[in-house]
Amino acid sequence: MKASTRRNLGLAVIPLLIATMFLQAAIDPSVREINKGQKTAFQGLSGEFVLGPLLGLQQAVAGLLWVRADEFFHSGDYDAILPIVRMVTWLDPHQLDVYITGAWHLAYNFTDSSERSDRRYIPASQRLLEEGDANNPEIYDIAFELGWQNSDKIKDFARAEYWYRKASTRHGADERGQAKAPVPMFVWHQLAHSLARLGRLEESVDIWKKALAMSEDFVKKNPTDFSRRNVRDSEVHNLELTQKRIFSRYKHELDWEVDAKVGKGVNRETGEPLSRDTFVFVTGSEVSQKQSAYAKAGLSAPAMAVGAPRPPAIEPTWNTAFDARPLFTAPKVLEVKGRFNVGDGARVTVRLHDDSYRTAQLKEFTFDINQDQTLMLDQHSVRAGTFGRKIDMSKDPKMYSFKSNIYYLVFEFNPRATSPFIQDRFGWSGEGMADPKYLWTDSSLQPEVRWIRKVYRITREQVFGGSIPESAVVSNEEYARVMAEPGPAK
Amino acid sequence: MVTLAIAKQTLEDMLRRKILLVLLIIAVGMIALGPSVGFLSPRESSAVLRSLGLAVILLAGLLITILSGIQVIPTEIERRTIYTVLSKPVQRYEFVLGKFLGGIFTVFVMIAAMGLVFLLVLAWQEKRFDPEMLKGVVLTFFQMTLLGALAIFFSTFATPVVNFFLSFGLFIVGNLSSVTDSLISNKNPATRIMASAVHYIIPNFGNFNLQNKLIHPSVEISNANVFIVQNIVYAVIYSAVLLLLAILVFDKREV
Repeated sequence: MKASTRRNLGLAVIPLLIATMFLQAAIDPSVREINKGQKTAFQGLSGEFVLGPLLGLQQAVAGLLWVRADEFFHSGDYDAILPIVRMVTWLDPHQLDVYITGAWHLAYNFTDSSERSDRRYIPASQRLLEEGDANNPEIYDIAFELGWQNSDKIKDFARAEYWYRKASTRHGADERGQAKAPVPMFVWHQLAHSLARLGRLEESVDIWKKALAMSEDFVKKNPTDFSRRNVRDSEVHNLELTQKRIFSRYKHELDWEVDAKVGKGVNRETGEPLSRDTFVFVTGSEVSQKQSAYAKAGLSAPAMAVGAPRPPAIEPTWNTAFDARPLFTAPKVLEVKGRFNVGDGARVTVRLHDDSYRTAQLKEFTFDINQDQTLMLDQHSVRAGTFGRKIDMSKDPKMYSFKSNIYYLVFEFNPRATSPFIQDRFGWSGEGMADPKYLWTDSSLQPEVRWIRKVYRITREQVFGGSIPESAVVSNEEYARVMAEPGPAK
Repeated sequence: MVTLAIAKQTLEDMLRRKILLVLLIIAVGMIALGPSVGFLSPRESSAVLRSLGLAVILLAGLLITILSGIQVIPTEIERRTIYTVLSKPVQRYEFVLGKFLGGIFTVFVMIAAMGLVFLLVLAWQEKRFDPEMLKGVVLTFFQMTLLGALAIFFSTFATPVVNFFLSFGLFIVGNLSSVTDSLISNKNPATRIMASAVHYIIPNFGNFNLQNKLIHPSVEISNANVFIVQNIVYAVIYSAVLLLLAILVFDKREV
């Protein structure tokens, strides 16, 4: 080859190399978009899995890791799953099921020897889901899961409503896997349920109507889609049921037994049953029963007569006569006895926690929880007006380390979290509920909600076997104020 | 014409090599076994099947490209057949280009075979044909074209063993583009300069990784088609640079 040709070829290399640099700069933004949320190849991976990411095979390694996690799950080795979940979400931040399954493990599957969840993991579970949602902002799945966890596990219906509403603005995956399909109807259903739990009844009814309109439209276009027709029918049922409950609890009480037999439906605008005999007094004994209920509550009864509409179900005021007596019968063994005039099936929450415990909002996901923190939560069913059982925390020192000197022992009942047949007695937000000692109104939410809550402030010595005097009871206002303050620095 | 004749002869020679055929058979077998991970939920199963299929194509393509790229020129020198070729009216650049094209044709045949099996398995498993996955196979081919050019360049002056580690090592470094890209905004100026040099000068193999988009169709990028064209142009230009350098080095080399 001539020297001049060699020189020319050598010179040609320079502009071509510069062209590749400009091309690289043009390609970089797209690569960043593709790899959004993905961590580097090395982070936290064991040696056998490092080579794959180094070769650009993050997704394949993530897939194989998830297959291994599935094996651990079937062998019951839950502890081994969590690190894999973390690695998979780093390598492939679009595996929705990995975020959801990992968060479920964290929130539900770590328990003490009596199957009580270790709630110290819930902030981590929530943070994992929030991270997954941020990495997949077009898709509804993880936002829905956050809504479900807040509703089902945490009973924070305001946060549940926030996430369900967010999910409803997203998309579902179409048949090609692209985020272009409308969200499934159950997202709307859960949004309506969470609004009802918050006592925002008109909004709940509006969502049911909106969901029903969407389903009616779909069924009209696809008359042979029987699955969607079932969904439509369930929406009709839920809309009518919500309307009937609003009518019965706040306008005129329904006789549900009569209504169930008649089953003629409801006026969807007013909630009024189509058969009038379902909310009027039929016999004189019904009238006298209602009058005596008013007298028992010390209230003057409205005019009542056979053939006239019944007054609302949540009147007269329902005295819950709540009380709870705790006793540590042995170190870390708590025995609870209580009474609650609210009806069988209601559940009283028993919570014991350090004075420094606050509901954490993690900025970054971590599996590391504060092992020195004690947080116990149990639910006691009411039977024949009483509740209580033995809570043995001595067998699980990792969960209940009792390192703090001061604890709060809380007994509470949230009317918004209870079953509809219990709510029939005093409304969604406890409007008809009364208690001479432990009624507390939470005005931080609108509409406000009336809780039953009794709080003890106890010492470590009492936890290790001592009686708890009634002088240890603190007011609901004081407990709310303490919990609103930031926890002491560690 | 001479270049194409050398390329044709190289392709025939490569396709006779048992090691490459064994690699192809193993890869096809692994792709065909992909649906056996179907015990996961449908969404996970689909993602695993797609990611494993693309990974197998990439891994097999990588081995085939490096094994063929590091050997084509040294083998000719070792067997002394290069003297016969170069004693004829064949320019050295024609020889280098012919060897490169022959190697790339081989890689094309192999990747096409694996890609076809992968698409068929995927279509059978998901009950529909997904043409999007073809983009992943095409990008893998151009990624291997660039790697092949790199291996040919090294083979003009390095032994096959050294070439293997050089090519493989640069492939790994070039795959860390997301790391180098993030280091470009590092506070330390020395780190910034080093990262920029690596990011813009070393062939950036990480560019070709479209797997996130292909495995999870919900992942949107502003213009996927432009991105693919940009990568193809990048591979072609960078390969041209490496081939020019290979020609210049080989032209001076005494054989």
